[in-house]
Amino acid sequence: MTSTPPLPGPPASSGPASGSSTGDGPVTTSPLRHPAAAGVAAGVAGGLVFGAAMASSGTLPTVASIVRTDSAAVGFVVHMAIAAAIGAGFGLLVAHQRAQAGETLFWGLIYGAFWWFLGPLTLLPLLVGRPVAWDLPGAQALLPSLVGHLFYGATTAVVLTGLRRDAGAATRPRIAIAVRGVVAGVAVASVLYLGLDVMAGTRIGWVFGVGALAGLGYPVLFGARREGAGPALVRGTAYGFLCWVVGGLTLPSLLRDGRLDWSREAALAAADRLPPYLLLGAGIAVAFTALGGFGRWLFVDDVRMHHVESPGGRGLRATGYGALAGLAGGLVFTLVLVLVDGLPDMAALTGARSPAAGLIVHLIVAQLIGVTYALLFRRRSFDLASGIGWGVSYGFVWWVLGALTLLPVLTGGTPQWNAAGVAAAFPALVGHLAYGAALGAVYFRLEDRANPWWFTRNEIEAQRAAMAREVILGSAPALWGLTVLIALTIPLVISG
Amino acid sequence: MSGQDQRGSPHRRASPGSSEQARWGALAGLVIGLPVGVLMAAQGMLDVSGNGGVTRWVLFAVSSVAVGAAIGVVTGYRPRGLAVAASGGVLVGLLGWLVFALTVAPVLAGQAPTWSAAAAATAYRDLVGNLLHGGLTGVLVHGLSALRARRSPSGTGPAEPDPPVRVVIVGGGFAGVSAAQRFERLALRGVPVDVTVISDSNFLLFTPMLAEVASSALEASHISAPVRAAVAHTRFRHGAVERIDTDRRIVALAAGPDPDETVPYDHLVLAVGSVPHFLDLPGVAEHARTMKDLTDAMSLREHVIELLERADHSSADPVEREGLLTFVVAGGGFAGAETIAELFDLVHRVLHYFPGISPDEPRFVLVHSRDRILPELSPELGAYALDRLRARGIEFRLGVRVAAATATDVELTDGDRIPTRTFVWTAGNRPSPLIATLDGDHARSGALVTDPSLRVCGLDGVWAVGDCAQIPDLDNDGSPFPPTAQHALRQGKVVADNIAAVLAGREPAEFRFATIGVLVALGHRTAAAEIRGRRFSGLAAWLLWRGIYLAKLPGIEKRARVLLDWLLDLVFPRDIVLAGRRATGETAPAQQARDGQPR
Repeated sequence: MTSTPPLPGPPASSGPASGSSTGDGPVTTSPLRHPAAAGVAAGVAGGLVFGAAMASSGTLPTVASIVRTDSAAVGFVVHMAIAAAIGAGFGLLVAHQRAQAGETLFWGLIYGAFWWFLGPLTLLPLLVGRPVAWDLPGAQALLPSLVGHLFYGATTAVVLTGLRRDAGAATRPRIAIAVRGVVAGVAVASVLYLGLDVMAGTRIGWVFGVGALAGLGYPVLFGARREGAGPALVRGTAYGFLCWVVGGLTLPSLLRDGRLDWSREAALAAADRLPPYLLLGAGIAVAFTALGGFGRWLFVDDVRMHHVESPGGRGLRATGYGALAGLAGGLVFTLVLVLVDGLPDMAALTGARSPAAGLIVHLIVAQLIGVTYALLFRRRSFDLASGIGWGVSYGFVWWVLGALTLLPVLTGGTPQWNAAGVAAAFPALVGHLAYGAALGAVYFRLEDRANPWWFTRNEIEAQRAAMAREVILGSAPALWGLTVLIALTIPLVISG
Repeated sequence: MSGQDQRGSPHRRASPGSSEQARWGALAGLVIGLPVGVLMAAQGMLDVSGNGGVTRWVLFAVSSVAVGAAIGVVTGYRPRGLAVAASGGVLVGLLGWLVFALTVAPVLAGQAPTWSAAAAATAYRDLVGNLLHGGLTGVLVHGLSALRARRSPSGTGPAEPDPPVRVVIVGGGFAGVSAAQRFERLALRGVPVDVTVISDSNFLLFTPMLAEVASSALEASHISAPVRAAVAHTRFRHGAVERIDTDRRIVALAAGPDPDETVPYDHLVLAVGSVPHFLDLPGVAEHARTMKDLTDAMSLREHVIELLERADHSSADPVEREGLLTFVVAGGGFAGAETIAELFDLVHRVLHYFPGISPDEPRFVLVHSRDRILPELSPELGAYALDRLRARGIEFRLGVRVAAATATDVELTDGDRIPTRTFVWTAGNRPSPLIATLDGDHARSGALVTDPSLRVCGLDGVWAVGDCAQIPDLDNDGSPFPPTAQHALRQGKVVADNIAAVLAGREPAEFRFATIGVLVALGHRTAAAEIRGRRFSGLAAWLLWRGIYLAKLPGIEKRARVLLDWLLDLVFPRDIVLAGRRATGETAPAQQARDGQPR
């Protein structure tokens, strides 16, 4: 008696390239329509980019060692073969995901990162009879390969999207949206500059240029979709990381010395720009979304384009739930804070030093952040996995914004953006992730109990809920995984 | 649309079936954990020789199984694509690293976890292991669930479950909506019910504030909440029930677009409430106004203001004028006392607009058959209420009844005739006429007699709650529960639980509830209250009344609106807009005859 009928599946997720086939464009029958075939083609494109990078840094012979030679040409051939094969796997992996550039991009990034762990760190050493490179020095030595894998994944994803997209479905980005992106970028850069350069004396004048460029790139990659600020925030954080890889790590050496330098030393030098890049990305995404929403609110006269639900009733309840979930997360975090003796640091926010004051401050902050979580991620989680996924991603954002930036600045210091500071804040990172996981899980439970948006009465509503879920599933799982992956590995690999 | 079609297919969240998914996930975690563990051991990462070796192995196995089970639970139960499963696996694997390698392992080794970068660097190899293990487990879990989906007979996963049980709730008052809300919760917990609420009004009326609508203190729509908003996930049907066939288990709706529309049910909850009962007194049904719904309150308000408009310039016949300015309420219960008090407030707060009426002209009379008003309160509070209202000049005719009514006067059983154009009847209620058409045991009042578990005696699959039911109070020698909102709310909740219990093959629970308290507002800044045996009166009780009922209003929006109404009432005069009427020059009785109003 307890089993209940299954939800109707997402309306158009059965076939390959389904996400793009909803348009009216002609259905082509090219062989590249098969996900694996399209994946091979995309993988070749990604392999070319990665291969060029390896050629420039002279690491192709490492690949060639698989077939017991050290010829760069053979290495390139082997590399391309592997790239094509892995690309096929990617094509199959994302066959059920929606085919939009920005969304597939994150799948590509996490796929590339995963293959870095599986390939150069594990399988390659095993094939050539060496111990696997799972330890930190091994990972640090292979950092260039990680960046190469990220580029490979990103290129493969973008090319695959292009291949899967129907000819008629491509839309030209509009000027207004590009302008909105630039405005968002400059605005966020201004906030960072005012808050940190002028007030706290951290020299970050460069954020304006980067902000404008990143702001321009954001709508180009992701378009002007209508979505909540919460998912945009998480996506923006990952976008910020991508911007750092390109703008903070790759371009400086390329422009300065004319060669790629993805070594650990280069990463260490660029490390103090990673947090501002993350903040910039997150801020751009939120500002871009908010500007869009504000513009719609002001200028769109068709109420169908607006949210049906008024913020009053359930929004207020969500706020209460957010505070409750934040308290639950805060209690989990307290465990970490007590063990690593971090409460006095929190107390310093109010000028006090006692752990009790720290606990109070900590719990209040935890609830405030919980409330913002509720406002940002209301109706965005539909099962425990999505609740935890959004929660940990949000927790990571607050580690960068809170622990690395605001806490030191508000207690009279400068942002802890250098490698040493990041390493010192590692316990706080663990705490923030645990906080986020508890926050997301508890909030999901509360919302599930009182306001289950996917709990529907009829076919139309069920389809709407399925669509909403599909939008979330479009790239969110990749973002959650990528965020935690970045959070746990990058600080260690760079500073450890 | 026939009833069968209307049932439609239910769309509920699929039950995760977590335990089974966890088992499959754990298996996958173990399967992937084996090669990963062997690899780590072969690479010298699991120190199997030392005395901590066994612990390491056990911890590794436990973490593999736990992470696998978690992956199964969070990603497995509804395959959403390989990518989602794999990335979910990576996420869980990484979080598992935080739990096991950074937290549990140091604890097992007898150290406090530090979560420092140094500790993380030491455990970095486990991070890689966990990440690969998680990602590959996610892939395997997805493969397994896809395989099982293909193997299962329907080809779509778990076997098609039984259709949900159809529950029809008739009535959208406190009891009916409370039952529907409870069913929404129960459905989320997996109780397979398909609930339809049928009501002839599409809103839930907050009756305690009805008198304040009549007195122009509150906006009418502010004390009512749409049923659709209150139970957003329940099917709602706005319509009047014409007939219930308890043998065929169908509810027939009164003629709409489709004259034969019926709604089938497996369990029927009757919460149809009560209607005024005029005891067949001559002229009362035709000339008395009632205070049961929003239209009554709004029409009473407009009627009173219209009479004031007329009295302001009418100086002809003193008897006519007396009738215009005399307001009679029959019944000294809550509704009667609150109505007379609010009428008094309304008239005196708007009288400054009507210079032709002297403040001592309006006359207010309450007719009550017993010796003391408000019998639900203790005698002391009843006497207090009587004193307060009398002190304002409200007349009380105690121990007499209304015998008859005409358009221009009310006759009492002691032979007295009171000329009045405003006669409000609150002296009797009976269950909705629909109840009389049903078989089953009826009480003398006409209400359906239920057993303590709210099942209607003599009818199978029919439950009754609220004012239309006579429910024995086991803690009070089986005497019936009073017809109040606080009881109706609890009965609605219990009836939903009881139906769920019956569906699960359990015994339904008996309804037991001790009245929390009673509150009666007595007009401007005065009230009487008795809560858990404690008595309150005057301003304190009035504040209590406002606070409690404000909190009980359905929905925060209505709370905000009523609060605003109250605040504005502090600084602005009562509104005397006659939105629904134009002066015609007709006399009131003629107009009433034309409108068919009031009843």
